[in-house]
Amino acid sequence: MGKQFIIAIGREYGSGGHEIAEMIAKDLGFELYDRAILDGIADEKNIKIEYLEKYDEKPRNLILSRRIGSFSNSIEEVMAELQFDYLKEKAKSGESFVVVGRCGESVFRQHEGLISLFITGDYESKVQRIMKKYKLSQKEAAIKIARHDRSRKKYHNYHSDFKWGDSRHYDICVNSSKLGEVETSKILVEYIRKRMEE
Amino acid sequence: MTLAQILALIIFVAMFVLVVMDKIERHIVTLVCGVLTFVFVFGLGLHSMEAVIETLNVKGIFTLEFWYSAGESGESTSGINWATIIFLAGMMIMVEGMAKAGFFRWLCMKLAKMVNYKTIPLFITFMIMSAILSMFIDSITVILFLAAVTVELARLLRFDPVPMILAEIFCANLGGSATMCGDPPNIIIGTSLGYSFADFLTNTGLIAGFGLVISVVYFYVVCRKDLKLASNQDIDLSSMPAPKEAITNMKDFVVSSVIFMLAVVLLVTHSMTHLSVAFIGTFIAIITLLAAGKDIVYLLKKVDYKTLLFFVGLFMVVGGLEQTGVLEIIAEFIGRVSGGNVFLMVSIILWVSAIASAFVDNIPFAATMIPVIQSLAATSGVSLDTLAWTLSMGTDIGGSATPIGASANVVGTSVAAKNGHPITWGRYCKIMAPATIMIVALSMIMIFVRYC
Repeated sequence: MGKQFIIAIGREYGSGGHEIAEMIAKDLGFELYDRAILDGIADEKNIKIEYLEKYDEKPRNLILSRRIGSFSNSIEEVMAELQFDYLKEKAKSGESFVVVGRCGESVFRQHEGLISLFITGDYESKVQRIMKKYKLSQKEAAIKIARHDRSRKKYHNYHSDFKWGDSRHYDICVNSSKLGEVETSKILVEYIRKRMEE
Repeated sequence: MTLAQILALIIFVAMFVLVVMDKIERHIVTLVCGVLTFVFVFGLGLHSMEAVIETLNVKGIFTLEFWYSAGESGESTSGINWATIIFLAGMMIMVEGMAKAGFFRWLCMKLAKMVNYKTIPLFITFMIMSAILSMFIDSITVILFLAAVTVELARLLRFDPVPMILAEIFCANLGGSATMCGDPPNIIIGTSLGYSFADFLTNTGLIAGFGLVISVVYFYVVCRKDLKLASNQDIDLSSMPAPKEAITNMKDFVVSSVIFMLAVVLLVTHSMTHLSVAFIGTFIAIITLLAAGKDIVYLLKKVDYKTLLFFVGLFMVVGGLEQTGVLEIIAEFIGRVSGGNVFLMVSIILWVSAIASAFVDNIPFAATMIPVIQSLAATSGVSLDTLAWTLSMGTDIGGSATPIGASANVVGTSVAAKNGHPITWGRYCKIMAPATIMIVALSMIMIFVRYC
């Protein structure tokens, strides 16, 4: 088995980050870990999948939960830790993979083969994309984007020691609206391959 | 209000908010706030070195009364309560020794085997065991082991562990209220006001005893459907883990069990032997460490220093409120509202303590309220004992009402969630809030009848 690479992709809601991650994983022949890992965790831990979906990538409610040492009774936090543990287990096996969200760039920060990307997008493009995808009005799409990004940001900033989308902590931050998802993914794959050759 | 009082209050409120927000580790919050209290309240506000020395309270440790005075006089209520901190440190070392030897897991498995793994007797046995163990050991440790074993047994016996874990949490908090060393607020109340183990047992212990009977009935009625469903299923009992397997080292197991028994005897008899809880904590820690041999470093590393430092900082901040007279203002206010009526006073302290403890850490609350009830007793003529037992029951029991009210709740619900049984606020409060209200009401009635 060659050197292990972990491609961690953070993304703004509506930026097409997930689709780009899918294309990168397909191009590189890597496994993609996204929301689907919840099924694996649900099976392994015998947890109802609805719980995992409900609390997936959600920030901890600081008022309604407490932490005593390593024990937190925030369901959001416990579910996040279950996902981090699951990903760490996958990493232990030595396989290379692409992980979407889930603070991948923070969970594997110390990993030599980490390549971290952040996908952003023009506001208008993101709104158009969400309107089309979920058949929403412009206002509804804007509200949905704001809600998801707020939640992702809080979730990320709680579990990481740097701010969500802060370019100083990613290898590449890219605006997918300029070239579109396909071209953006090609450029990113090229960059990743160069890194892998080093 | 004076500048010192305003500063003390601002620092106290900031500390509380930061502890609740949980962004910064709580021991750092209390220690920094403690230092700020010394600089701004005692330095800038009061210009008093005396206040600093009184709050540091180090001199007391070097007096004979600190080690040998149980039941006769309390430690100075002002400042850092070193007796509490030393006792907690000693018990932490003992408990780590017991846990390492496999004592708790062995006890849980042994009792499960004794009731033949039948869910309803198991449910009742674990509730009672949770209450009894919590009388002597911190509730976090009790719940940590009980909840883990409950989840394991639930998987094997195919029942929902959540009602059982909730009942165990409730009983751990209830058991903790029965003795001086069961719950941190009680240790602080006991060492500050000079009560003995026996004083607690015959006062709060009696209420907790009645409370336990009612709680067992309540939880049985509420949870029986889930448990009966499981007890009808055919389970292969030969696949159950043997209690013996829990013991990691027989010699350590025997030694730690003997040390635990010795600690119980010393605590129960300390009003007769006049040994203070600080002495007992130190003694138990020393013999545990001596018996540990090469594991001495392991045990010392396992001590939860962060919690001990949290206490130090907390006492410093509360010292600021005390030295500036803020707590006397609160006491006067309660006295005025109750108009000297003892029933009203007890009701206010009990329910305010219970409601506050349901949402915020009951340790800072109890530490703050001790000087308040002292002042109230002195000005209103109401017995300090009555107010102390009221405060103890309110803070200890109130914490059970919500998932964030007490440490045992956090650990229990966390263990459940990590094992695939997330407990939402709704599910938690639906079972636990009525139980809490019931036991607080019982406490009120018993305090009215016995002391008022």
